[in-house]
Amino acid sequence: MTATPPTPAAPAGKSPSPAAPNAPVASNAPAPNSAAPAAPSGPRAIGMPIERIDARAKLTGTAIYAAETPVANVAHAVIVGSTAARGRLRSVDTDAARRQPGVLAVLAPGAVPKLPAAPTSGTGNPADRVLQLLQDDKIWYADQPIAVVVADTLERAQHAAALVTAAYDSTPPVAEIDAALGEAYTPEKLAPFGEPATTRGDFDAGLAAAHARITATYTTPVENHNPMEPHATIAVWHGDTKLTLYDATQGIFGVRNKIAKVFGLEPTDVRVIDHYVGGGFGCKGTPWSHVALAALAARAVGRPVKLVVTRPQMFALVGHRPKTVQTLTLGADAAGKLTAIRHTVVSETSRFDQFVEPSALQTRHLYSCPNVITTHQLVKLDIPTPTFQRAPGESTGTYALESAMDELAYALRIDPLELRIRNHSVRDEQDDKPYSSNALLACYQRGAARFGWSRRTASPGSMRDRGTRIGWGMATATYPARMSPSSAIARMRPDGILLVQAGTQDIGTGTYTIMTQIAADAMGIPIEQVRFELGDTAFPETPVSGGSQTAASTGTAVKLAVDKLRDQLIALRQSPDEPWAHVVARSGRPELTAEHKTDKRPDTHSYHSHGATFAEVRIDPDTGEIRVARVVAVYAAGTILNPRTALSQLEGGIVWGIGMALQEHTVRDRRTGRAVTRDLADYHIPVHADIPELDVSFVEEPDPFVNPLGIKGIGELGITGVTAAIANAVYHATGKRVRDLPITLDKLL
Amino acid sequence: MQPFAFVHADSVDDALATGGRDGARYIAGGTTLVDLMRLEVMRPRSIVDITGLPLTAIEDMRGGVRIGALATNTGVAYHPLITTRFPALVEALLSGASPQLRNMATVGGNLLQRTRCPYFRDGVSPCNKRAPGSGCAALDGYTRSHAVLGTSGRCIATHPSDMCVALVALDATVHTRGPSGVRAIPIGDFHTLPGDHPEIESALLPGELVTHVELPASAFAARSRYTKVRDRASFSFALASCAVALDLRGTAIRDARIALGGIATKPWRAREAERWLLGRATTTDNFRRAAAIALEGASPRPDNAFKVELARRTIVRALQRGAS
Amino acid sequence: MSESFVSGPSVGSAAPDLVVPGLERRVSHAEPRVLAFVRDGKLTEPVTELPTIRAELRGLGAELVVVSPGGVWSVRADDPLEPLAAASAELAAEVSDAAQRYGVTHDEDAVFVIDGRGVVRFNHRLERRGRALWATLTDALTIAGRAAHMREGHDARQRVLFTRREWTVTCLVVGCATAFLSACKEQEHRPADRRSPPAEPAPPDVEVMLRINGTVHRLTIDPRTSLLDALRERLGMTGTKKGCDGGQCGACTVLIDGKRVVSCLTLAAMVGDRDITTIEGLARDGALHPVQRAFVEHDGLQCGYCTPGQIMSAVALIREGHATSDDEVREQMSGNLCRCGAYPNIIAAIQAARRTRG
Ligand SMILES: Cc1cc2nc3c(=O)[nH]c(=O)nc-3n(C[C@H](O)[C@H](O)[C@H](O)COP(=O)(O)OP(=O)(O)OC[C@H]3O[C@@H](n4cnc5c(N)ncnc54)[C@H](O)[C@@H]3O)c2cc1C
Ligand code: SF4
Ligand code: FES
Ligand code: FES
Repeated sequence: MTATPPTPAAPAGKSPSPAAPNAPVASNAPAPNSAAPAAPSGPRAIGMPIERIDARAKLTGTAIYAAETPVANVAHAVIVGSTAARGRLRSVDTDAARRQPGVLAVLAPGAVPKLPAAPTSGTGNPADRVLQLLQDDKIWYADQPIAVVVADTLERAQHAAALVTAAYDSTPPVAEIDAALGEAYTPEKLAPFGEPATTRGDFDAGLAAAHARITATYTTPVENHNPMEPHATIAVWHGDTKLTLYDATQGIFGVRNKIAKVFGLEPTDVRVIDHYVGGGFGCKGTPWSHVALAALAARAVGRPVKLVVTRPQMFALVGHRPKTVQTLTLGADAAGKLTAIRHTVVSETSRFDQFVEPSALQTRHLYSCPNVITTHQLVKLDIPTPTFQRAPGESTGTYALESAMDELAYALRIDPLELRIRNHSVRDEQDDKPYSSNALLACYQRGAARFGWSRRTASPGSMRDRGTRIGWGMATATYPARMSPSSAIARMRPDGILLVQAGTQDIGTGTYTIMTQIAADAMGIPIEQVRFELGDTAFPETPVSGGSQTAASTGTAVKLAVDKLRDQLIALRQSPDEPWAHVVARSGRPELTAEHKTDKRPDTHSYHSHGATFAEVRIDPDTGEIRVARVVAVYAAGTILNPRTALSQLEGGIVWGIGMALQEHTVRDRRTGRAVTRDLADYHIPVHADIPELDVSFVEEPDPFVNPLGIKGIGELGITGVTAAIANAVYHATGKRVRDLPITLDKLL
Repeated sequence: MQPFAFVHADSVDDALATGGRDGARYIAGGTTLVDLMRLEVMRPRSIVDITGLPLTAIEDMRGGVRIGALATNTGVAYHPLITTRFPALVEALLSGASPQLRNMATVGGNLLQRTRCPYFRDGVSPCNKRAPGSGCAALDGYTRSHAVLGTSGRCIATHPSDMCVALVALDATVHTRGPSGVRAIPIGDFHTLPGDHPEIESALLPGELVTHVELPASAFAARSRYTKVRDRASFSFALASCAVALDLRGTAIRDARIALGGIATKPWRAREAERWLLGRATTTDNFRRAAAIALEGASPRPDNAFKVELARRTIVRALQRGAS
Repeated sequence: MSESFVSGPSVGSAAPDLVVPGLERRVSHAEPRVLAFVRDGKLTEPVTELPTIRAELRGLGAELVVVSPGGVWSVRADDPLEPLAAASAELAAEVSDAAQRYGVTHDEDAVFVIDGRGVVRFNHRLERRGRALWATLTDALTIAGRAAHMREGHDARQRVLFTRREWTVTCLVVGCATAFLSACKEQEHRPADRRSPPAEPAPPDVEVMLRINGTVHRLTIDPRTSLLDALRERLGMTGTKKGCDGGQCGACTVLIDGKRVVSCLTLAAMVGDRDITTIEGLARDGALHPVQRAFVEHDGLQCGYCTPGQIMSAVALIREGHATSDDEVREQMSGNLCRCGAYPNIIAAIQAARRTRG
């Protein structure tokens, strides 16, 4: 056990001791007692519905998000986007822009320093994306940055940006996957998700032996994440080689490493800070061009620069969920037992980089079946590179798979829930490993009871309320329980406050709160005596807040760091009831610390969360307007650290599932490749009036294998399944199987 | 946003004096103007703040109402004179935008709000409305939001207002003051079809100020309804909407007004359909027939073809609601 | 402009080495530094000034090192204050040596801005006149920050030397100079063969007085400034959020004379003398507004970015009194988007707050 000695500082007691040694700017982290929990924190904090620690800061407007960091004399940068989508930039006319008062610089290709390491063709590694940094004249997609205008005020920068014009040598883009399906190719890797294709057993034989078969093609549209907080970066150079970025990101270390690489700096010379993130959902998972452009602009004008991506630009510059075309073939025997599954996925990517939407992953293991084929292919288009969007793969994939299961249930005349129960998989048949835990059957049972599923009449159109058509549908939810190496440092201070720090982010998931709970329990103190700080690369390194892995990864690191510190304190303790504060005081050091870095988790098991979702839709028979009337969802997701924040996340996921099923669709103009639905009036996400009361609950699922605390992660689980449940409910209500999302009213007329 | 001079008008005369200048625009709630200025779609050289003018009153006028141009959409929607006499207007206003926007939006501004055509708003696509003569990107583009009635080969943009559709069904008159005196413009003549000049959207002359709108007392106003169909349950523009006002004796239709939104280049009055309904009974079959007549001559495009049928069904639904 | 009366290194010259305890290990990476020699025998923490000092340090991209016989402190924009050395006889001697090399006598306080190449970019002798150390330092940083925008190669203007009395005057001078120099820079950047048209004249700014949460703020602004940008970019009131800048999300909701509006589509110049209430003005004397309390209880937030808008909207909704049923509240809250999907909890919170209000 290695307990790091405290950092040498001034002799204790002599110099004035600042309030929080080694803490970041105290004012922006939630204060230790700010939560004033109404719920008793009790002896154990884990599992208690503790009120969000950062609630007060957020509710009073004092939480500082990246773009809000106070920076004196900050200049404002605005990106100018290309109107062409394919070809070359002939010239950029910046004269009019530069004539505007207050304009400090206009950056455009040719007038920008060459960056040491900006890759121009990508391998699909999301950590090293190809960015568009004004380095050459190549145009890959519409709205690609072709210039950056910097001015002393935002108003001036915005207007000057509008005055930049450009000439292109361009050809019409191919921006629709349908136009290029013939060019689909199989990527080498499903980075970072493993192999693109799998085969198990003998699909053809399995299908031939089937009593019932269905084949159907489902398409899911381009979607954009649209977190409410736009992407934003403030870049501050300290001399020529040190850089601080206040960046709206889900992964401060990813930003640090990538920007260091682009500018040829040491990672340790780049510091990234983000104490509050206004939503991410994947698009803030890796740094995009604007981050580097902000740094470039700041260097050009010798002044800190703030660059906020506009809402319309967010439809091109920060990734999207790619369109998918998925074909499922299912075969089953008369009893409903699956004999063959084939799930083929084609999704779009950019011409200069790769991203695969891994929609068939869950199909490899969710149901028991001896003969399974899955494939993933890509089509290169003149579009920006897609990226992870809440449950990449499982969201689009469960829509297809679970719709197909519904179709199979009708073909077999078996209740859809019953069909799933009959095919329940007790072991991951693809990886040939036991599940670390799997309480899916209990979810089905509890969900069906809460929903009243047994009262459903099977035939489509058979349920009505006066004129309104009613549909009931269900689907299985599933998402991997991921985990990455992470680290944390625990510091016991002389005032008895346990300060824990880890780089990680809180993107609205409750990281501040659950880490505080974990630390409190590990030390055996009330949460009021714990303070958790995050969002700064000066803290120990942690993984991206993506893939629903923060609680498991960093939660484990926090627990183990505090365990270590506790052991150290116990060893120093004079009597079992000596307060920790005394132990520190006696030690003669300003604080006692312990740091822990976790290793990779062993691959002994297959780690997944599950759930059962049930939806009721009500459809106007004349206008086709669809309203989700209720959703019942029951999840098995290991240890629930905090039911209050956990429920919120799952509800949020369901809201996303409703949006995905009924509303969300980024439309690109066929001729220009530009997003036509480029604001929040045209790109519909659900509003209050679209969302009914949601009945979300958990079943117990102890998991001794997944990690020491049994944490599985829930950030993305909620969006899986529910889209299919709604689509299936629409079929049940109308007899119409819409296989092309979103299910808008015109598809029912 | 292009730089502009900011002028605060203290009186109507003051406003007219400055608003008549080249490149000047009035600003009321700002929810259309500021938005489009920020998008660089509208680039006035000066803006004249008219919010200080005494044009906010909502008053009784021989059983009808006179609504000041600066009355807010919220103020109108909850005013007792309106709620008791013109239910369609209330429903239309409350179905539009959001509570925040309705608190800002004025009657005058709402009349003059501009299309949400994405090619108009993006600032770069060919668009005859934004840049006369540049072409129309929507004709072969994505047209889910576009019009099927009143279109021309130069522009197919939908007039997005809900309020105006109700005003059409309620026989409103728009009152203005301009350099050449006062005018009373029937609502049906206020908005113009795109024709060859989609950049011209109303009968308003440069510098002319909308002072108020009058809604006459009528036999059909009390039985008026507004039905709006859209992609979300709230806070979105109409895919199709219909305001109806009916004067019934028993089940016989003595007079009818049918106005359509979301599907036409201006708030659309379905006169033929109204005429066909006169004297007929309030049956669903008759409503269907009227709806079919209303959509005769529709010219849909691939993405908005569904609106023809949707509009018919919306009309039937609206008439049923009006008759019940 | 007066002559330098700091007899040490002048602007443009190399900064003398600084060897004081605790500092050696921090001299790295060619990071700019603001060096402050002060006489104070004992340093106490800045309280009210700290946020401004941090903001100025970010603006300068520099670290502030306060050197005094009473201790050596490092202040960095994003770190806690760090005492590098404590008072001792040894320290006093070293500090006195260092000060001498910088031409600072024992009864003087002085500030030097040293850039990443070790060149003095700004120097300034502090005239305390009884004011507290940190307040004086804050002012010095502010002036240094403005001066820092001047480019190299303009010697006359680079030597910005101030006396306490001249501060106000000099601020103005610096302001003009900055504008002038940025125009020069404009020229420099332009390739020689291109004609460089003069900058277009800007239409006049407007004076506004905004009464926000009961406090009047006077601002001279570009008429294009929205109320939202005035709050966020000019007044540092960032509680009100920008999600779309087009009226489509409600994140920027504030109350004007008690009515909810979107501040992104409100021109600051049009608010006049009406009362503006923002999220920062809701809690009274540290006690949360009942709606805020209900949001905590019902977890009506996740990332928190839509939250101030939701709350302002909810406060207005309750006051308006048009909505009582869940569905009515949902409808009347539909102008406030929440991408995290906290909707069910927000409705629960509003209903709870509405009921407790009676
Ligand atoms: C996100 C969003 C969603 C919306 N949703 C809907 C919806 O669902 N349904 C709907 O109907 N509307 C909707 N709107 C539009 C909204 O109703 C209009 O923007 C509003 O009514 C305009 O009124 P205003 O007072 O703000 O106009 P302003 O923006 O102040 O002015 C608009 C135009 O009218 C002119 N003008 C204003 N007053 C006068 C006058 N008295 N005389 C002469 N000229 C004048 C101005 O010069 C300007 O050109 C939405 C708007 C937004 C931003
Ligand atoms: S439909 Fe009208 S507004 Fe839209 S692009 Fe064409 S001309 Fe412009
Ligand atoms: S920022 Fe004002 S409504 Fe979105
Ligand atoms: S809490 Fe994140 S957008 Fe509402």
